[in-house]
Amino acid sequence: MHGPLIETLARQGVTRRTFMKYCATLASMMALPPAAGRAMAEAMAAAPSASKRPSVIWLPFQECTGCTESITRSHSPTLEGLIFDVISLDYQETLMAAAGHQAEEALHAAMKANEGKYLLIVDGSIPLALDGAYSCIGGKSNLETLKEVAKGAAAIVAMGSCAAYGGLPRANPNPTGAVSVADVIKDKPIINIPGCPPIPVVMTGVLAHFLTFGSLPELDKLGRPKAFYGETIHDRCYRRPFYDQGKFAKTFDDEGARNGWCLFELGCKGPITHNACATVKWNGGTSWPVESGHGCLGCSEPDFWDGGGFYKALSMPANPLKMAAGAAVAGLAAGAAVSIVNRGKKSSARAAHETTTLADLEK
Amino acid sequence: MPHNATPLHAIPVVTVSAGLRAGELSGNAPTLLREIAEMLRRLLATDAGSAIDLQALPLTPADLIWLRARLGEGEVAVTLNADGDSSLNETACPGVWWVTHRNPQGAVVSEFIEVAYVPDVVRAPREDVVIGLESLESLSAELS
Ligand code: SF4
Repeated sequence: MHGPLIETLARQGVTRRTFMKYCATLASMMALPPAAGRAMAEAMAAAPSASKRPSVIWLPFQECTGCTESITRSHSPTLEGLIFDVISLDYQETLMAAAGHQAEEALHAAMKANEGKYLLIVDGSIPLALDGAYSCIGGKSNLETLKEVAKGAAAIVAMGSCAAYGGLPRANPNPTGAVSVADVIKDKPIINIPGCPPIPVVMTGVLAHFLTFGSLPELDKLGRPKAFYGETIHDRCYRRPFYDQGKFAKTFDDEGARNGWCLFELGCKGPITHNACATVKWNGGTSWPVESGHGCLGCSEPDFWDGGGFYKALSMPANPLKMAAGAAVAGLAAGAAVSIVNRGKKSSARAAHETTTLADLEK
Repeated sequence: MPHNATPLHAIPVVTVSAGLRAGELSGNAPTLLREIAEMLRRLLATDAGSAIDLQALPLTPADLIWLRARLGEGEVAVTLNADGDSSLNETACPGVWWVTHRNPQGAVVSEFIEVAYVPDVVRAPREDVVIGLESLESLSAELS
């Protein structure tokens, strides 16, 4: 295994064995066969020298820079950060040394030199109200910039929930008229990596896939890579056995909370949230929201910010185990009937839940 | 709420069917034994190694314990210290290795059954041997 990247990594103290181990794990996380780990290691190790690396242009729009923070401050910077050694990051306002006209020049030079081939990463939503005046860079509205830069892109990565769905800026009443990348660009392959912020390894995985196989990984109907967003938080949650037994924490300091019971009644959105936090975890696998005692906010789903309150329980019958068994037995044939029954159950449950949630936290 | 937004409570709650519980056997492990045998036949016939990603399969912790017990302990146990400890342990079937990769916090990040004479990652990479030789040479140069 040789090439410029692996030499660079070796100088940073990352051995070939560490790199092979990393790629094996990355392939496993992406649900690729073990042989793909080997292929990724070979392909990335052999990433061409700086002048020939794939060009990446990263545009920040209406955002908080949390996505950039998530990627650049990941736990093992030498490994997650390797994407910065494999690609040529030609424009990224937060990270680049250039400013003002120099920065704009770098952007246009990269666009011209790599026409039709560069990967465009966008974080942040695009405000449409007042002709886009709410967010401008170098005198141009984000809308103008996006359209201009997207034209020559091979594919677009919408990084974070703002770029993928409109995010917090789009929260009711959406004063800036914020929309997602896919709302504006209709003629390019777009991959959504939602999360507020997204998990760093998802980003690395998608780029590694692009570099190794020259294509984007398999996506779900919301444009998210299936390998990471294929299951719900609830499917993989270690508190799940308590949910199935109907053991719920009712406040953040009751006995249930101390015993690590399910956080459903405290507003956990795990059952409707597709993301990999429960398995990949955060901060180098240290922990994740549910493990630190707080319910999932649902940050990788559209409109999570307008879900009615982070501490409001999802509307569901109070005896989830029975309901699960019922739904499973009823199967697909009776699906319609079940959903009608559930709707009835849901509205009564919603009323019942009003009293059990932490209304005081909502104010 | 914007008129086009779907309220969270309108999204149906999908519950996975019961069955895969941590303490129960799923019935999927015995078939793996046959797959491993096939991989060994391939190794003998063509020298080609292969691997099974244990996290990609619907296996419960009980399945993994069952499988590990059936495969048994072999003569070789390798610890790889690379961004966290990994263990590569030969099972009682020579050529079948149980590989567990851990991160620096000790959490399992991936787990494989690898069929090979020696797992790839154990072999010293040629390029590293070159570097090792260089440092050995400079060491002797300093001493002389
Ligand atoms: S509701 Fe939340 S805390 Fe409870 S099992 Fe599901 S994901 Fe875990």
